[in-house]
Amino acid sequence: MVDVQLSDAEKIYILHGIQDNCREDGRSCEDYRHLEIESNVVSNTTGSARVRLANTEILVGVKAEMGNPAPEKPDKGRLEFFVDCSANATPQFEGRGGEELATEISNLLSRSYDCPSCFDLSSLCVLPGQQCWILYIDVLLLECGGNLFDASSIAVKAALFNTRIPKVTVREDEGHTELEISDDPYDVQRLNVQSVPCIVTLSKIGHSHVVDASQREEACCLARLMIGVTEKGTITAMKKEGSGSLDPASVEDMMETGKKVGQDINISLTCVLKMEERQGVKRQTIGFLR
Amino acid sequence: MRGEIESNMAVDIRLAGTRETTKRAVPDEIANLVTPGDVITSDTGFMRGHGTYMEDDKLHTSVAGVVERVNKLICVKPVKTRYNGEVGDVVIGRIIEVGQRRWKVETHSKLDSILMLSSVNLPGGELRRRSEEDEKMMRHYLKEGDLISAEVQSVFSDGALSLHTRSLKYGKLGQGTLLQVSPSLVKRRKTHFHHLPCGASMILGNNGYIWLCPTVSEETGTETGGYDQDLQPVTKGDRQTVARLRNCILAQAAHGMMLFDTGILYTYEASLKYPVKDIMKPEVMTEIIEITNHRQEVEGS
Amino acid sequence: MPTDSRRITGPETSQSPHIYQKTNGTEIVLIDENKKRQDGRGLGDIRPMFLRAGIVSQARGSAYMEQNQTKVICAVYGPREIARREEFSWKGQITCEFKFATFSCLHRRQPQQDGEEKDFSVQLLEALEPAVCLHKFPKSQVNVYVTVLQDDGSALAAAITCASVALADAAIEMYDLVTGCSARISGGHILLDPCHTEEYRSEKDNTVNNGSVTLGLMPSLRQVSAVTSKGELEFEHVKKAMDQCLEVCQKLYPVLQQSLIKSVKEKLEMDKLSDCHTT
Repeated sequence: MVDVQLSDAEKIYILHGIQDNCREDGRSCEDYRHLEIESNVVSNTTGSARVRLANTEILVGVKAEMGNPAPEKPDKGRLEFFVDCSANATPQFEGRGGEELATEISNLLSRSYDCPSCFDLSSLCVLPGQQCWILYIDVLLLECGGNLFDASSIAVKAALFNTRIPKVTVREDEGHTELEISDDPYDVQRLNVQSVPCIVTLSKIGHSHVVDASQREEACCLARLMIGVTEKGTITAMKKEGSGSLDPASVEDMMETGKKVGQDINISLTCVLKMEERQGVKRQTIGFLR
Repeated sequence: MRGEIESNMAVDIRLAGTRETTKRAVPDEIANLVTPGDVITSDTGFMRGHGTYMEDDKLHTSVAGVVERVNKLICVKPVKTRYNGEVGDVVIGRIIEVGQRRWKVETHSKLDSILMLSSVNLPGGELRRRSEEDEKMMRHYLKEGDLISAEVQSVFSDGALSLHTRSLKYGKLGQGTLLQVSPSLVKRRKTHFHHLPCGASMILGNNGYIWLCPTVSEETGTETGGYDQDLQPVTKGDRQTVARLRNCILAQAAHGMMLFDTGILYTYEASLKYPVKDIMKPEVMTEIIEITNHRQEVEGS
Repeated sequence: MPTDSRRITGPETSQSPHIYQKTNGTEIVLIDENKKRQDGRGLGDIRPMFLRAGIVSQARGSAYMEQNQTKVICAVYGPREIARREEFSWKGQITCEFKFATFSCLHRRQPQQDGEEKDFSVQLLEALEPAVCLHKFPKSQVNVYVTVLQDDGSALAAAITCASVALADAAIEMYDLVTGCSARISGGHILLDPCHTEEYRSEKDNTVNNGSVTLGLMPSLRQVSAVTSKGELEFEHVKKAMDQCLEVCQKLYPVLQQSLIKSVKEKLEMDKLSDCHTT
C-alpha cells in the first residue's frame, strides 16, 4: 500500500474512534464513501469505465482481441487482467515501485473472476479449439486515496457492463472456415455481468473492522480480509492480507459484514449502470474534468 | 431522479453526469492574471521579484498567478504552490528523520525543515542544558512520524526553514486529526491557535496543515510541550465535533474559500442540520458553503 | 508469457499430453456411494504426514514434508543485514519464494516464477509474518525458500506448515508455529486435504459451491494467519470448511512439535558425541 506516516497518538485516536463506531470523517464502521462512476470514457476500447472514490481514481479499459483458446479450455475465451500503478498517482510507483501492489490487485481480480458460475467464458468462444475472444482488462490507477482493491473491482465490473464485442459469423466454405466480423456498431454482443463479483476489503483495526478504509486508516491496519462478493451473496475469492493475524471468530464477523456490504455495492452498481444506459447517447460526458 | 434511487441505496454510487458543477466562491474578475512568458512591463524602472525573469529589457512572468506590486518590486504569486515559510509563521510538521542534534521535519516546503535539539523545550524545565544524555534520548522525545506544532525561527539561505518549539503552546501533538490543504488558503491572522466554542481546538498552520483536537481543560493542559500524552479514549461527542469540523474545513477548501476561525464556525453552524458523514456529499457541501458565503457577506467579515 | 532467454526452454508450443487424454466422457466422481473418496479416505480424513526438520545441511534452518505424493522442501537463510535499505526500521523483514520444481506437476512448469507461484509466495509470506517476532532482528531480513518437489494437491498448505518448521529450526524467534490445511468444497461436501484430482479447477467445475479454502493457523494462540478461497461458494460452506480446517490445523500441531524436538535431540546428541571425541 501507499505509505502514510502517522504518530502513535494519531493512531490511537483513529483506533478508539473505530471502537466507538465514529471514524475520523464521521462515518460508522460499515459506511462506504460515495462513489462516482462513468462508463464509455475511452473511445478506442471495447468497454471502459472510470471510478472515483474520495481521492482514489481508477480507469479501466477493456480490449477484445481474437486469439487461440487455452488447450485445457478449448471452448472458452479468456480474461487477462493487468493493473498499472501509474507514477502519476504517487512518485512511489515510479519504475517498478508499484509492481508488487499491481500484481496483488490483478491476482485477486483474476481469482475472483475465475469461476464459471459467475462469469460465463464460453460466451467468448468463437470456434471451439481454434478461435476465441480474449478480453484484456487493463486497470489504470490514476490517483491513490485508499481502498484500491474495492474501487478497481467496481470499475472492472462497470467496464465489463459497458463492453460491446462485435458479432462474429462463422461460415463454412469448401472445407475451410471463414470468420466475418460485423462492422455495425449496433450488431454487438454484450456480456452478462449480473453475477460478477465486487471486492470488499475489511480492515481490522483494534478490535473492530471497517469497510472502505481511508489511507490514514489503512496505516493503522495490520490485517485485512478481502472478499469477492456477488449480488447473490456468494464468495468467489477470499484472501487475508497484512502482517497481522485474526481471531477465527472475527474472520466470521468480517465475512458477515463483507457479504452485506458486497451485496449492497453490487445492487447499487447495477442500478446506476442501468440508469446510465437508459440515458443513452443524450448523456452528458464528463470525462476527466472535475 | 437521484433522490428516489438514493433512498434504497446502502452504498451511494452516482453517475458523473448527474454531478452539479460546483460553483466556486470567487469574485467575478481577478485582475492581473498572467501565465508564464507574459510580458508584465517593458519599463526598466521596476525591480524583479519572485516569479519573474528579465529578457530583452522586459519583465516576463515565470509562473501562472497574480501580479503583485509593492512600490518598485514586482512579484507574481502563483496560485498553487508549496509552502514558502516566513519567520514567525506557525507551522505543523511531521518528524521524518532523527539526526545529529536535529530532527528533520516535513512541512510541505520545498526542502525539509530543521528542528534543532537546542530549539526545543525538553521535559522537566525550560532552561536545562542539553546534555549528551539528551542527544541519545532524541528518538525518545520525538520520533519518526510524530507531529509537532512549531514556529519558524529563521530561514536558511537555501530556503529551508529552521523551527523552534520554545514556547509551551508549541510542541508534540497528541490525539486528533491532521488535514492538509493548500497553504494559500490559510489566512494570516494574529493567532493561529483557536479554542472553538464547539468544544474543539484548532491550529491553522501557515503551511496548510490544520490540526484538530478535542479541547483539553487548561489545568491538566497541553501546556507541557506535549511530552506527557493523554492516550485515554476521547468521548464520542468530542469525536463527532472534530469530525464535523474536519469535513467543514475540507468543504471550504474544496470550494477555494479562505480559512479562518469565524468562517469555519459559520460553516460548522450551517452544517449542523446534516449528519457528519453527509457533509462530504457534493450537494450538501455546496449548500452549506452557500449559506456560509451569504452569512459572511451579511456580517461583512 | 515472458520467456527467459538464458535458458533453453524447448519448443515454445509444446503441450502436456494429459490434456489430450480421454476422460471416458464421465465426470470424475469425488465421493462414491459409501462416502469414500477415490483413494479410500473418508471426507474428513487427511493423508499421512511425514515431517522432518534440518534436512538441508547448508541452510540456517530447513524442513521437508511429505503427504503421500505431495513433497515439499523448505530452506531458511538469515537473518542478515538488508543490502539496500531505504529507511530506518525497528522491524525485521521476511521474504518468501514459493516455487514448483519444473517437473513437479502434470504439466511442465517454467523455470521462472509464474503468476500462481508469485501469488503463493505472497500468501506464504502473509501466513508466516504474524508468527515471527520481527522486532527481534531489526535492520535485517530472513529469506524463506520453498520448493515443491512433487505436487499432488494442497501444496500451499504443505508449504505453510513446512516453512514454519524450517523457521523454527533456524532458531528465528517466533510467537507460535503455523500449520496449514486445505479443503475442497464440492456441492454440500467438504473434502479435507484434497489431492490433485480432487483440487478445484475452474475449467471443469461449473456449478455454484465448487471451490477450495486454505487456512493457516497459529495453533497455540488460536489465531488465523492466512485464509484464502477460490471458486464461487456460499457463506455457510466457507464457514464450515474453515472450521474443519481449523480443527485439522490444531491436530497437526503435535506433529510439528515432535519433529522439532527430534531434530533438537539429534543435534544435542551430535554435540555430545563431538565432545566425547575432543576430550
